[in-house]
Amino acid sequence: MAIIEVRGLTKHYRVYQKPEGLWAALRGLFHRRYVEVQAVRGIDLDVEEGEFVAFLGPNGAGKTTTLKLLSGVIYPTSGSARVMGYVPWKRDNAYRRQFALVMGQKNQLWWDLPAIESFRLHQQIYAIAPEEFRRNCDELTELLGVRDLLYQPVRELSLGERMKMELTAALLHSPRVLFLDEPTIGLDVVAQHNIQQFLRHYQEHRRITILLTSHYMKDVAALCRRVVIIARGQIQYDGSLAGIIDRFSKHKIVTLQFCEGQVVDRLERFGQVLQVQQPKARLRVARQEVPRTLASILATYAVQDVAVEDPPLEEVIAELFHRVNSDQQAPDSAGQKVEVETVEAGRRRD
Amino acid sequence: MNNQAIHPPQNEPSRIGGRGPAYLRLLWLFACHSLIRDMSFRINFLIECVSSVSWALMNIGFYWIVFRHTRMIGQDTGWGEAEFFVFLATTWFINSLVQTFFMPNAEEFSELIRTGNLDFVLLKPVDTQFLVSFRRMDWSSLSNMLTAGGLMAISLWRLVTRPENPLKIEPIIVVLYVFYVLCGVAILYSVMIGLASTSIWLGRNQSLYDFWFYITNFSRYPMEIYYRGWGKVLWVAFTFVIPVLVVVNVPARLLARPLSPRAWWEWPLAGFAVVATLASLIVSRWVFQRALRSYRSASS
Amino acid sequence: MESAISACHRSSSFRQRLATWWVILRVALEERLVYRGDFALGTLMRFLPIITQIFLWRAVFDAVQTSGRADVAGYRFEDVVAYYLLTMVARAFSSMPGLASGIAASIRNGEVKKFIIQPVDMLGFLLLSRIAHKLAYYSVAVGPFALVFFLCRGFFLDGWPSWPVLAVFCASLVLGFFLGYFIEACIGLIGFWFLEVSSLLFVYMLLNFFLSGHMFPLDMLPGAARQWVDWLPFKYLAYFPAAVFLNKLAFPQMLRGLAIEVAWLVAFVLLSRLAWNRGLRRYSAFGG
Repeated sequence: MAIIEVRGLTKHYRVYQKPEGLWAALRGLFHRRYVEVQAVRGIDLDVEEGEFVAFLGPNGAGKTTTLKLLSGVIYPTSGSARVMGYVPWKRDNAYRRQFALVMGQKNQLWWDLPAIESFRLHQQIYAIAPEEFRRNCDELTELLGVRDLLYQPVRELSLGERMKMELTAALLHSPRVLFLDEPTIGLDVVAQHNIQQFLRHYQEHRRITILLTSHYMKDVAALCRRVVIIARGQIQYDGSLAGIIDRFSKHKIVTLQFCEGQVVDRLERFGQVLQVQQPKARLRVARQEVPRTLASILATYAVQDVAVEDPPLEEVIAELFHRVNSDQQAPDSAGQKVEVETVEAGRRRD
Repeated sequence: MNNQAIHPPQNEPSRIGGRGPAYLRLLWLFACHSLIRDMSFRINFLIECVSSVSWALMNIGFYWIVFRHTRMIGQDTGWGEAEFFVFLATTWFINSLVQTFFMPNAEEFSELIRTGNLDFVLLKPVDTQFLVSFRRMDWSSLSNMLTAGGLMAISLWRLVTRPENPLKIEPIIVVLYVFYVLCGVAILYSVMIGLASTSIWLGRNQSLYDFWFYITNFSRYPMEIYYRGWGKVLWVAFTFVIPVLVVVNVPARLLARPLSPRAWWEWPLAGFAVVATLASLIVSRWVFQRALRSYRSASS
Repeated sequence: MESAISACHRSSSFRQRLATWWVILRVALEERLVYRGDFALGTLMRFLPIITQIFLWRAVFDAVQTSGRADVAGYRFEDVVAYYLLTMVARAFSSMPGLASGIAASIRNGEVKKFIIQPVDMLGFLLLSRIAHKLAYYSVAVGPFALVFFLCRGFFLDGWPSWPVLAVFCASLVLGFFLGYFIEACIGLIGFWFLEVSSLLFVYMLLNFFLSGHMFPLDMLPGAARQWVDWLPFKYLAYFPAAVFLNKLAFPQMLRGLAIEVAWLVAFVLLSRLAWNRGLRRYSAFGG
């Protein structure tokens, strides 16, 4: 049985539109306009125990909302979900003791106190046995290299150090499932790398299940074998990282090395010219055209070397996001919006 | 990285099973943390103590002036100066308890909702209302307990030693007094958490604090003064709908008057106060739970 | 020719200023209207404390009247209620929520530099935006105020005062606004010397609450204290307009009161100027 089972999960919000202008504001006292935001629209997902899954998607695609639904912080509009057999939004203590949520943009440690105080509080809240608490705390701070900072007030820590403390706090009770919402956001390269290393190491040894959202492809490439792409509140892709290219990239990059003295011109007729640096050239060629194009190039010029590659992953994904967004009718980046007019009092008679 | 460092996960069925968090121990930790925090801003702490005490003294000043012009509040109500000051001291006992333990939390609750940090509270395997209600304590508000204690001591002394009809304080009264003070705190707490929960629906809610102040304002006077004309509507509303009138009235009346004779309605009222306490706790919990369902978790 | 240009220039800058005014006013109004739940609750609740005051004083007067007197320090029961309602009006003019703490905060976080760099006078600018805020507030609050006064018209036993008294009443309200503004501005400007003015502000609030007559008619103070309070600026923030309206003062007394009020106002204007200039010098000397 899958450790996370999601069926038709949907979440809609109503957002009050602040009208502009004095008269509109006055009218807003009686008559309000809402916009319905469909943050998540019918997600189905199964995750097996021990998987490390990445959620990718443009801003406002519904990744974070999905994580919040799975951690029981918000109630869904419809659909069902089970994590370790529990319905998250029932917020059973037994469930809450077995998972953790870390958000890169929010912190839960007491700002004015040393981190160790917050950890002790966690010990009580999660009823962690003293011996286990000490062991976990030592291991985690050791691995993350923040052991010496335990007794400093959190407000004096750097962003990276604080994130490491947040991670430690989240893992003190040895959760079986971990939700990570952009854990490396705003961190420098070194700190990002540290945290990646740590997560990989920890996940490999403990075999816990991790769901990660991130904007950094490096995080994803380093950590996750499985990638779920969410856009406009729906799953657009679910599979391996490499599979994204096969599925979504319609092009290949062809690199040609011409023989000395070869006059090369009018390359455009073979494909989009990315770069020409005699005697080298890079072309973007539609995937199904590659064999034919190569043949005609080889027939036309004397070529020393040929390489056919996939375009870089970031590019493919950026293109995918762009395509998904431009399909949308509303130019807004947030999830699908549907205008709803709600008349609360004094309905106009048209 | 040291590969040995991570132990394999341990099977600890006891942890996953029934053992709940130790609520008393948590409470103790919250108290300690808040005190540590307060003490790291010592000057601020002192200033807050001084200002809340001076606010109280000013109030005494006002009633002192009122009693320069009258001997009693209301005709034949028995609320003379000393009795009324017992009432006032009771108000402060209750208020300073509420302000120490619940006020900072109610304020922070709105803030947690606004910033979306309520997420973390919701994640914890501890009753959410408990966590929301007890996270912070504002120790400086407890300084008013001292003012109230002083005022109470002086006023009781005057009542006990007055020549005509001196007051006798019986042990049962003291026990009941403490009990009803705690009931009063519970009622005010319920009103407060109920009000704070509405900020999930209403968004940022600045007048929350004002609203709280205005409602509890009614509890600061002997309830007899409302019992006339259209005031009876208020009397009924604030006794039976939002029972803030019994908060101070019941304990203060118990202490400031001799055990007998009592008006016929006083003991039923005392009984009602217990019912009202339980009811408001239950209702406020229900409101709190309902409100959580609408929580939307703002993302930063 | 030159004067024509300058006049033209002046008029355009005046028009520009009017435009600025209008924008400030509109934004302030809109800001008030956005949080409608808040707003509705706020204006409604503002009068609630008066209800408890009415009941308290009714009970006090019940006891007083059984001992054969009809008034307390010259106030009948109805007068006390009318007094409280009138102090609400006076406070609507003289209270400056957030002014001093705002000034102190802008000094603390360096926002005050804006006023050093830009050709705008801070005290003038804040005064303008405060006026706009107040106007916005009145334009909305006039409804509930009118309603409450209409419902409570029975408490005004002597009806409307005479025209000259009414004129003095209005003058005292406007002067009260300016006095309140400049007192708070002075307190805020102390932020140039002490970073934390909130404790000072609290002391001011306490004194204000007690000595302005917001809590009770100042005539009820015992004799010596009464004389003393008469010379302080606080009473002009609440007591004075109300007392004028209720005909508690003879005409010469009223004029004397106004004169003292103007003197206090001038003193605080000068003091705030001085504090601003000295403070700025100190601020730039320390490099902000």
